[in-house]
This record gives sequence, structure tokens and C-alpha cells, in this order.
Amino acid sequence: MQHKKNNHYLNELKKFVNDNYQNDKIRTGFINNFEAWPSGKVETWRLSRLGGLARKKLSPLAFSKNEKISCNKILTDCYTLAFNDGVYIETLSDKLPESIEINLLKTSELKTFFDSIENFDIFSHPTLNISGACAKELVKIKIKSNSKIEKPIQIVQSGGKQKDSIHPLIFFEIEEQASVSILEVFNSNSGLITPLELFRIKKNAKLDFVKIFEDKPETHNLSLSIKILEEDASCNCFSLIKGGNFTRHETHAFLRGQKCKFDFNGIYLTSKNNHHDFTSVIYHEVPNCESSQKVRGVLADRSTGVFQGKVVVEENAQKTSAQQMSKAVLLSDQANSNSKPELEIYADDVVCSHGATVGELDEDQIFYLVSRGISKDKARSILTEAFLSEIVEGSVDKLFFELVHSKTKLELKNMLNLNYD
Amino acid sequence: MAILNINNVHLNVEEKQILKGISLSVNKGEVHAIMGPNGSGKSTLSYMLAGREGYELESGQVLFDQMDISTMSADERAKAGMFLAFQYPVELPGVSSMNFLREAVNSRRKYLGEAELNHLDFVKEARRIAKEMFIKDEMLKRYVNVGFSGGEKKRFEIFQMSMLNPKVAVLDETDSGLDVDALKIVSDGVNNFRSKENSVILITHYQRLLDYIVPDYVHILADGVIKKSGGPELALHVEKNGYAGIINAA
Repeated sequence: MQHKKNNHYLNELKKFVNDNYQNDKIRTGFINNFEAWPSGKVETWRLSRLGGLARKKLSPLAFSKNEKISCNKILTDCYTLAFNDGVYIETLSDKLPESIEINLLKTSELKTFFDSIENFDIFSHPTLNISGACAKELVKIKIKSNSKIEKPIQIVQSGGKQKDSIHPLIFFEIEEQASVSILEVFNSNSGLITPLELFRIKKNAKLDFVKIFEDKPETHNLSLSIKILEEDASCNCFSLIKGGNFTRHETHAFLRGQKCKFDFNGIYLTSKNNHHDFTSVIYHEVPNCESSQKVRGVLADRSTGVFQGKVVVEENAQKTSAQQMSKAVLLSDQANSNSKPELEIYADDVVCSHGATVGELDEDQIFYLVSRGISKDKARSILTEAFLSEIVEGSVDKLFFELVHSKTKLELKNMLNLNYD
Repeated sequence: MAILNINNVHLNVEEKQILKGISLSVNKGEVHAIMGPNGSGKSTLSYMLAGREGYELESGQVLFDQMDISTMSADERAKAGMFLAFQYPVELPGVSSMNFLREAVNSRRKYLGEAELNHLDFVKEARRIAKEMFIKDEMLKRYVNVGFSGGEKKRFEIFQMSMLNPKVAVLDETDSGLDVDALKIVSDGVNNFRSKENSVILITHYQRLLDYIVPDYVHILADGVIKKSGGPELALHVEKNGYAGIINAA
């Protein structure tokens, strides 16, 4: 396996861990695991090359010196949890009800989580190793059992400068019978952000999670989520990627309890020379579970987009139902979208489907609208919006519907104008 | 006075000559039927009038309401009052029928210097006209043409025409695929639309439609030119004897 060496950053990371966590064997273990950025020869990174990132001169952000910080809240009627440079800022956050608990964990608890996964594929992931080693805080958000959180939780991740890399690490525990809706917004200004998020969704718990990636134009965001679902648990994730120079949103979900349900849907809107990537691996380990991965992309200018979704159905995971669908619309000749749906099925009584389409807007549809007196620009915007609204309507929690809808619409407007310049 | 004047138009589609010197003059308030065998250029004529890309004039001139249409984009023509009812109406998944129609109606109103309709007034007007055309509310709630039957699609075209109140409506084989009941509803829609101000060009294969919408003139289009023009009796002649006699004689 070949790697892109970036000795400067590697040395900086090692120094950071050495200076701050010299005696923490778990952290040093993670950093020793990270030798270099994966190269394009590594299959899972073939379509999302990290050359641009490897050329950046970055250092992990040192502990802050009480800089003035703020939190851009999007929703008002919610519990806001503000994070700056990956650190939970209680003073900018809302007071929480008793059913929501926030704690700082020790790295040993991280190890317990990973030991329960036993999946070697993930252990080489740069985000896992960098954030595992360098996260300043291991924040645990717990939703206590049997509690229904009526107002959504809003997590805002900001901070950093272009020379910095920041490494938020959050561990979500949704206890039995609990239900919660969470919105997380990334508007980081750092050169690199490696959010590592771990989820344990317990028996009969329900989680709706909407992520919005709107980092600054130069930012690399390598987000990694690892989710474990227990019996009858349900997890509905929707992500909107509309920012950052390079955003990869990678999810690994382990369906471990019967009748659990996992949805990983999303939209990417990319323009200029940006690159957005949805990568997911769903492991059906037990029978009678359902999963779906539906991603739609709109690409303008010289941008690129990737969907790589993999479903692994283990031998005893009979009666699995898994769907994958990726669709992309190219607004420019120079934009490029790659889809790589994969099924790895070892059980024989399953319903699995996958498909992918890439194309331009339909000329017949444009003409139909134009022939009714609607301008060509407006027709294109109506059709792209319609293309995306189908998936938003079908998969976004109603609490966040308007937010996702309006953000999508606004970004599309910018993209379509850009394209006509 | 001629609202539409097509003068010696030649047009190529993908380098193949389709219209070979067609001329036609339509006055306000007239209904013209254009009949002709397959491949005669009927649909090309309708796309040319509506301004579809790839259907630009090779030579000749078209004046619509005194304006040279070669200088107008498709949406400008529509706003100025040109309407094409599609032979195969296009499905627009994700686009609500009501929003689509309101966008279209308001584009035209804006062009005419009229105030744009707000949502409520628009819905009221749409429901009123829909009712006349036996279009159910439920159909207006769907995405444009999605899940519509063939007949519903054609009815929806005529409904759009009624909402937009164009100066010239070109109906491209609106009768194809309609059963007798649907044909009656569509024809009633067109007949209600007929007035001293509005003109209609009916493109059709069959004389049947002309029993319901009686034209002022009938033209036989073949091989890219109008071979013969006459009154409604010409359509009956074609029905009885076919196109061959007329085309060969011309």
C-alpha cells in the first residue's frame, strides 16, 4: 500500500501528542497507526484523492488562549451545543434538561467502543487515528432512557484557521426507548477538520440526525461516523454537503439488533473546483433489518462528486432489506460525478437493490417549461430544485425540513448563477 | 389582420431539410387545421413556431403579432402569446402543477403589464377553469403530468392554454390517444377558447377532431410544403380518398 507522505504534518501530530498526552498509550497508539495520507491506490480513496490535503502545511491547533469566540446558531427553538476548535463551550451553549447529559470521557472508554467493533477496515482511517490521538476533549452526549426530547439539539462546530487542523470527537449514546432529533452544522475555517463521531443507539431508541456541511471554501473536512444499532433501534440520517473545498462524509453502520432500521441519505451541491464525497458502509449482521442509502448531487463548474456505498449482508442476516440509489445532475461539461454502489451478500433470503445515474438536465423538460413563458434560467432552477426536493421530502425530519429546503434552494441559486458567468 | 404570417420558410433538422418553403397566413379569430401524412413536417412546424432549439429558420420569415419571431427566444414567444399544446406532454417529477402554472401565468401577466396573481387569487382562478374542464383538484396537486393518463395529459395541456389565454394556440395532435369522451372535453375547451381575438392551429392526422372543432381552413402539408388549402370539405375529401391523390396532383 502506497501512501502520500507529509512529514511536516506527521511530525506536528506526533509532537502534539507527545507534548500533551505523553503517557496516554491509547492516544500514542492511534498516532502510531497514522503513517501518511492514503494514496489514490487505496481503493476507498481512489475517487477522492488527498493530494491537495497532503500539500497543505498544517499543525494541530494548540490549546487556545482565550480567543474571542462566537457561535452561529441556525435554529432558535432548540438546545444549542457550541463547539469551538473541537472543544465544547458551555458558556455559549444552552442549559440542558436532565434527560440530556454531557460528560467528558477518558480515552479508555474510546477503546472499549472500538474493541466492540472488531472491524479492521476502519482502524486505518485517517480521521479515526488523528482524532483518536489529538481530540482535545472526548465529549459524550447521552440521552437518558425513556426520554423523548421534544426540542431538537443543535450542534455547531466552528473555529480554526487555515493553518490549523482541528479534531472534534463526540460520542453519542441514545439509551433504550429514548428519542431525539439532532442538527449538526459544520462551519469551520480550519485547513482540516476531522470530526469523529461514535454512536451507540440502544434498544428501541430513535435518532434523527441532520448534518449540514458548510465549511469555509478552503477547508478539508474528513468526517467519520461509526454507528452501532441495537434491536428495534432506528436511525435516520440526512446530510447536506454544500461547503468546503473537499468534504468527505463517511459513515460505517453496524446493524447488530434485529429489526433495526438505518437510513443514510443526502444531497451534495458542489461548484468551482470543490469535491464532495458520500461514503458509507452498512453491515447487516443480524436478520430482519432495513437500510437505505439515497444520495443526490448537483455539480457545477469543474467540481467533482462521489458516492460510494457498500452494503455487507452477513450469512445469518436473512430477510435483510437494503437499498442504494445515487443520482447526479451535471450543470457543466467539466463537472464529474462518480458512483460506486457495492453489494456484498452472503445470505440468500434478502432484498437488495442498487443503482446510479449521472446526466444533464433533460432538454425536453427544459423546453416544456420554456414554452410556457418561463425563462431558461428559471427552468433550470425549477428542475434542479425538483430533482432534490424529492429526496428532501422523503427523508428529512419535519423539524429540519424548512431549514434544509431553504439552504438547498439558496445554494442552488448561487450555483446556477455561477454557471452562467 | 394576420396575427401569424409564415412566409416561404425553409428549415433543416439535423441537416435534413424538413420544411421546404411553407407559407401560411392566420388572421385573428381563425381556426386552421393542418393535416398531412407522417413525416410531412407537422411537428417540425409546431416546434419552429414555439422556438425549440435546433428548429431555427434556414430562410424565410415568420411574423407573429407583427414581430419577427427569429429574434425572440421560446419563453419570449410564449409570454407574447404563442402556445404549443404538446403531442407528448412532458412529465416533471418534483414540480408541482400549481406552482408550475402560476409561474407560467405570472410570466405572461408580467409581460402584458398586468399585476401578478397572488397564490390565493391564482388558486381560485385555476379551480374555476379546472372545473369547466372536468379537471379534479386532486390532479392539480400532483407533479406536472406525473401519473396522468394519456387523456389527462392532453386535457391538462388545454387547461394550461385556457389559463394562459394565448393569441395563437398550436395544438399538435392533441386528439391522438383520446377516447370519445376525452375528445369531447378537449374540443369543448378549444371551442370555449375560440374568440374574435384568439387563433388556433390544429395539427391532426384525422378528420375526426374536425367534427368537434370546425375549422375555417384546412391545409394539407406534405413533404415540407402546403400542397392544398380549402375549407372543411377538404378534410372530408382526405378522409374518404386519402392524401395520395392531393399530393400527386399538386
